[in-house]
Amino acid sequence: MKRYYWMLLVLLGVWVVAQDSSLPGLKEEGNYTQGTLGQVLQPLPVTNAQPDGVYSVGAWPQYTPELADGPGKELVQSYCQVCHSSTYITMQPPLPAATWDAEVQKMIKTFGAQIPDDAAQQITAYLQAHYTPETRKQ
Amino acid sequence: MMENAIKRRAFLRKAASVLAAAGVLPLVKAQTSSQASEALPSFTGPQANPYWNGVNPFVVYPQKLPLLRLTDRGIQLETPRQYFRTAFTPNEAFFVRYHLDLIPNSIDLSSWRLNIEGNVEKPVSLSMQDLLERFKPVSIAAVNQCSGNSRSRFQPRVPGGQWGNGAMGNALWTGVRLMDLLSAAGVKSDTVQLQFQGLERGPGPEGKGSHAFMKSLDWNDPVLQESIVAYQMNGEPLPMLNGFPVRLIAPGKFSTYWMKHLTWIRALNKPDDNFWMATAYRIPDTPRGNTTPADIAAGKVKTIPIGKMPVRSFIVDPDGSSKLIAGLPVEIRGVAFSGYGRVTKVEVSLDGGKTWQIASLGAFYGPYSFRTWSFQWKPTQPGRYTLAVRATDEQGNVQPDEPVWNPGGYLWNRIERQDVVVGTAS
Repeated sequence: MKRYYWMLLVLLGVWVVAQDSSLPGLKEEGNYTQGTLGQVLQPLPVTNAQPDGVYSVGAWPQYTPELADGPGKELVQSYCQVCHSSTYITMQPPLPAATWDAEVQKMIKTFGAQIPDDAAQQITAYLQAHYTPETRKQ
Repeated sequence: MMENAIKRRAFLRKAASVLAAAGVLPLVKAQTSSQASEALPSFTGPQANPYWNGVNPFVVYPQKLPLLRLTDRGIQLETPRQYFRTAFTPNEAFFVRYHLDLIPNSIDLSSWRLNIEGNVEKPVSLSMQDLLERFKPVSIAAVNQCSGNSRSRFQPRVPGGQWGNGAMGNALWTGVRLMDLLSAAGVKSDTVQLQFQGLERGPGPEGKGSHAFMKSLDWNDPVLQESIVAYQMNGEPLPMLNGFPVRLIAPGKFSTYWMKHLTWIRALNKPDDNFWMATAYRIPDTPRGNTTPADIAAGKVKTIPIGKMPVRSFIVDPDGSSKLIAGLPVEIRGVAFSGYGRVTKVEVSLDGGKTWQIASLGAFYGPYSFRTWSFQWKPTQPGRYTLAVRATDEQGNVQPDEPVWNPGGYLWNRIERQDVVVGTAS
């Protein structure tokens, strides 16, 4: 009878060694990394608000990614951001150079953006230098 | 009510014990998480976006749960996939799409009025209290879907909001019949369109699309008979970002017509030629609105304003974020809808669209609502599977398996697929 116990123990030992770690089925443990999300805070109840006709929410938060560095970036930030954040640029898929040219012309002619010719050319060149299928870095 | 709930619980207990006795495993839902294992890497293209949602970070906004940020000024936020498990989309998860950046942060109902003006006998100006007390409330369940929903699927890619599938939502909208409001003002007989304008504005010059957002519907469009001016969404006031205090509900139409913060309704005696009607939100006058870049470049394509939403269906679960287990049943489930009338059939494929089986449909909340569907599947063999779903509406429209292309990135309704991996149980 004792011999059987020993055999069982030996078999168990072989099985344990065959595992990746000391606990049955455990493949990996204790792996941590720094999270990249910020804190998400809860909303304050509006119980202190006046019972009048005013219905308010807080400021709209902005989450604008950095634009690629390069000549023309400041012009993009000053002219394009009159109407919209530069997230409208980074959100787009990589677009052909001709499409970026058409987009800048659309902003000027259709939407009435006040951009001098020289600045418009530099803005187009900047977009083409960083946001086409050939030039865009993910 | 209480008694019913008790009876229902008793029934469920009984049903569960019958299932247990028969040796059937209780139905298990697939695990889902926003970040089950690894975070999604950045992806912008130029290939089609292969993921259900657009590849964008979660952000928080007033009155909203974390949603996926497309743009932050104007604001465009996409609803994550998990919120489509139910027929009604929670207000705090409902997608947001603005065109311009001057969006109200605060509205004073003591001075706000809904103005009905233009080609009418007697212009009227109605307070929220007028809307609540002088008109009979009505409710309708209706899907609100952005014209550019799923634009990130297009090949070649087109500029615009790069939505995955989450620029849509379904709600029970309660408010006042548009026609009741118009009766109060008396629309003149030579009216050709109704123009809708809200408090969404931009810093651009007057007369340009960058200054004001306005949309119009034809006076003879049957949708006007079903449209309402809604002050409630799923039984609550509208979130600011979904159009507080009232928005237009145009059932079956894309959301471009569902004007938020609706403040002016104008009867027009000539067609609206503002940018948002004459230039934007137009589709090729072809089957499915389909065309090619070459035909566009050649100037061959006649366009018309976008209108009704084609039939669509979506797989919500399983979402591929975790492996399934061979031998363990899963419920494949999702939602379907059509702007052309009620969804009559949803079919599921377990082999990427080669063969199809009928899914069961959930409760019917009206022809313009999401209809939930489900299909029970017990994968017996480990391996890789491609699930697919397609819906049919009462007009006989069936979702096609061909992509669509037009320069606006509108009307996507191709059959949806989901790859899943089934692991062994031993």
